[in-house]
Amino acid sequence: MGRLILEHTLQGHKGRIWGVAWHPKGNSFASCGEDKAIRVWSLSGNSWSTKTILSDGHKRTIREVRWSPCGEYLASASFDATTAIWSKHECNATLEGHENEVKSVSWSRSGGLLATCSRDKSVWIWEVAGDDEFECAAVLNAHTQDVKRVVWHPKLEILASASYDNTIKMFAESALDSDWDCTATLSSHTSTVWSIDFDADGDRLVSCSDDATLKIWRAYPPGNEAGIATPDKTTVWKCVCTIAGQHSRAIYDVSWCKLTGLIASACGDDGIRIFKETSDSKRDEPTFELLTTEESAHEQDVNAVEWNPVTPGQLISCSDDGTIKIWKLSE
Amino acid sequence: MLSYIKRKLSESDSVANSSSNSNSNGSTTAAELVRKTSQMSLDNGAIAYGEDALLHELGYRNATDLQETIYDLLRTIRDPEKPCTLEDLNVIYEDGIFVMQPTRSNVSVVRIEFNPTVPHCSLATLIGLCIRVKVERGLPHNIKLDIYIKKGAHQTEEEINKQINDKERIAAAMENPNLRELVENCIKDEE
Amino acid sequence: MSRFSGALQLTDLDDFITPSQECIKPVTIDKTKSKTGAKITVQADGYYEESESGKQKLQKVEITLQDCLACSGCITSAEGVLITQQSQEELLKVLRENQTLKSAEDSDSEESRIIVFTISTQPLLSLAHRYKLSVEQTARHLAGYLRQLGADYVLCTKIADDLALIESRQEFVERYRDNAELCMLSSSCPGWVCYAEKTHGTFILPHIATTRSPQQIMGVLVKQLLAEKLGISGSRIYHVTVMPCYDKKLEASREDFYSEANGSRDVDCVITSIELEQMLQEEEQTLEQYEPADLDWPWTDQKPEAMAWAHEATMSGGYAEHIFKYAAKELFSEETPKELQFKTLRNRDFSEICLEHDGKTVLKFAIANGFRNIQNLVQKLKRGKTAPYHFVEVMACPSGCINGGAQVRPTTGQHVRELTQQLEELYKKLPRSNPDNTHTKQIYADFLDGAHTDKCEDLLHTSYHAVEKLNTALNIKW
Repeated sequence: MGRLILEHTLQGHKGRIWGVAWHPKGNSFASCGEDKAIRVWSLSGNSWSTKTILSDGHKRTIREVRWSPCGEYLASASFDATTAIWSKHECNATLEGHENEVKSVSWSRSGGLLATCSRDKSVWIWEVAGDDEFECAAVLNAHTQDVKRVVWHPKLEILASASYDNTIKMFAESALDSDWDCTATLSSHTSTVWSIDFDADGDRLVSCSDDATLKIWRAYPPGNEAGIATPDKTTVWKCVCTIAGQHSRAIYDVSWCKLTGLIASACGDDGIRIFKETSDSKRDEPTFELLTTEESAHEQDVNAVEWNPVTPGQLISCSDDGTIKIWKLSE
Repeated sequence: MLSYIKRKLSESDSVANSSSNSNSNGSTTAAELVRKTSQMSLDNGAIAYGEDALLHELGYRNATDLQETIYDLLRTIRDPEKPCTLEDLNVIYEDGIFVMQPTRSNVSVVRIEFNPTVPHCSLATLIGLCIRVKVERGLPHNIKLDIYIKKGAHQTEEEINKQINDKERIAAAMENPNLRELVENCIKDEE
Repeated sequence: MSRFSGALQLTDLDDFITPSQECIKPVTIDKTKSKTGAKITVQADGYYEESESGKQKLQKVEITLQDCLACSGCITSAEGVLITQQSQEELLKVLRENQTLKSAEDSDSEESRIIVFTISTQPLLSLAHRYKLSVEQTARHLAGYLRQLGADYVLCTKIADDLALIESRQEFVERYRDNAELCMLSSSCPGWVCYAEKTHGTFILPHIATTRSPQQIMGVLVKQLLAEKLGISGSRIYHVTVMPCYDKKLEASREDFYSEANGSRDVDCVITSIELEQMLQEEEQTLEQYEPADLDWPWTDQKPEAMAWAHEATMSGGYAEHIFKYAAKELFSEETPKELQFKTLRNRDFSEICLEHDGKTVLKFAIANGFRNIQNLVQKLKRGKTAPYHFVEVMACPSGCINGGAQVRPTTGQHVRELTQQLEELYKKLPRSNPDNTHTKQIYADFLDGAHTDKCEDLLHTSYHAVEKLNTALNIKW
């Protein structure tokens, strides 16, 4: 059995905190929420404090923030329909085009592409053309509803999106016309898919949903050993595991640790749960066990969780209760 | 009276499940609990063992007290279009409010059901929005709200239920100045 | 899959699923005066209003396509409306009823209508590829099929394509002489125009050329010139166009193209390549099985030597190329090569070309196809202090009209791009039309009272209207 030990409780934002994101170096992080501000926190001595407050960039709630892989840039997605790109405390660029709330933003592995998604049902891919220049590379209308989350594959230029239409979709660039196509639709959840995360290699994906389940998906590329058919020679994603009965309300976020392989979930029942793949887990039928549950991790809904990309077992969470918490997993 | 009977019915249920509050249990109990909660929501509001302690802590005599408190908040909400309250129009009613089993983190869960005036009512989502904002603001403690349209009372029941229980959509809606003004007007307390 | 362009699919989307919920347009109901508080009850056969005078059945409200266009709400519901008002079923119904009228000998009966079909080039390419025929053969077999359906005239768009180019280049030269800093944007793609009206209103609209699209120029020619030649009122003509995309249905329904004078729309119905394929499928026929027939040329005495024509080398009417060549000569007396070499920018759907004169760049043109490039163009226009281009040919579909949203789909396993390349090959083999020909000269002289006249302005140009966002909270989608 493991246990989550609360290391720090941080206050500063006014009201609900929607998102937190570790800096790639793991020694600082950014947070955002309904107060329309981004805070950048770092550790000095034994305490975390706000080093920078980025305000005036957005007119409405900031839903999500993400660091570029190089750690130089920060992207923020807002309900004001724009995405802002920040560098050294300055807003470098504002990406317009979505019709309404931007829900999520994600940098590709190389940092050369940025993806955004919105309630307008579309997913946009932007090419980083210069320091403050972003060109629209694709507008994807594959989802039939609000798109909640976009996440790039950790190694390839493949984008995954999760939606209110209960599905997850994969997109890749077509060599024929440099346009992006939907290459796979992952259906199994029975309600909104709130968040997704790849494992370290990108062979598997975890998703969390309003239906209170987590699902693990595996990629089966053409010619896979399992003999799964791949029509049109494109990779097929299959749901190989459903974790049901562990969460009692909607699950708003999930993070798959690239260092330890542990999965953390943020739930609308105020809890944070950690799952570990069992030692006898099979490749095509993996099994996961609940390592620990922090039932009252926050006083209200937990909106986001993220594993530290450098320090194994360090977890950050934020909540409607206006706090950010930093946890340490002791196994 | 109705809630008393419901409670009686559920007591027999909850005994079998009395160990569910301890968190040292493994996943099987948790799974059972989830199944149980969903069963109970089908029963239209059951109150489980241990609930009273939480309610007392929050200052309620019993579940009916919480139910009535919420009803009092809701009855004065005005219809977005007509010069009447939701109570006048029978859109909300006392036995459409169900005190459910609290979360494992011990937060009250309440299910509110409402009945739109016509089955194609285009304002059903707005009414759902008003109900949520009014209750969340009106209660001095945290609460988990599930708001639903009375079964069979609307042509697009499922879509509406999904929308009015999506916290992100609700948060964004309340940042739209026009929508916000409308909601504020509907839920404003009459002098 | 939607047959609308991506630009339209994205405009002010709707979160509701069923049609009854989709339309947010407030409907005015003619009501006899009654006290407030009347109750509306629902019964199986409709809605009733209860008042002191008893129950009164409320009129069923019908939302027309014009309502949809005038509204800044959802665009998706327009699809539903289009499906009923401009569907192949509706077309076949009209044609059937007309056949009955024609065959009725009773002279007291309602007058039958003259059915006119106009076929544009891109659907011919699509169908030629689908049925493995040459483009000219496709035109003749299609004419045969349409005549069997009841067409009295089957026309090609050449004359309107030519006129649209002449008017556009003239408009460009005038705008440039007036202010060389300004940017003119093409106007023939209704998906782009509709998106601009709904999303970028007053900022973009002044840049859009006022020249009507070939479809709507054809509409005027058929309902006015052809009607005149036949000695009948325009309203007696039922005009159907064959087009490569659904967005054209929206264009035909614009109020600007309703003629008060003859009480009808310039184009009554738009039918697309994919719908024609479906119609043929339902008949269990291929195009080849219909006897080929000639197309009509009612405009001048001498028929052109072919009925399917290319305009310049790009696949969407050749606006950028043609205007560039004309402007180079007209404004700077510079000769340009027959084939212009556009430089591809970030992706193959965005390309540009410049003209240098006395060491200065005097003309900078671009072609922007597809919604992503519309976005990049709009952002460029918004950011720049000076216009980045003098003219941009804008089409909502990637690869332009040849890849219109309602062209016949590729067979399984084939990529859209591959199909488009094959259609491009077909297009390149077509004869090139030069708009300065005896036919257009005659139209200007006989019908339009010459070039640059009020009549040209009136019949060959149009205007755009920024759509105001509905802000009444009751209608907001959230």
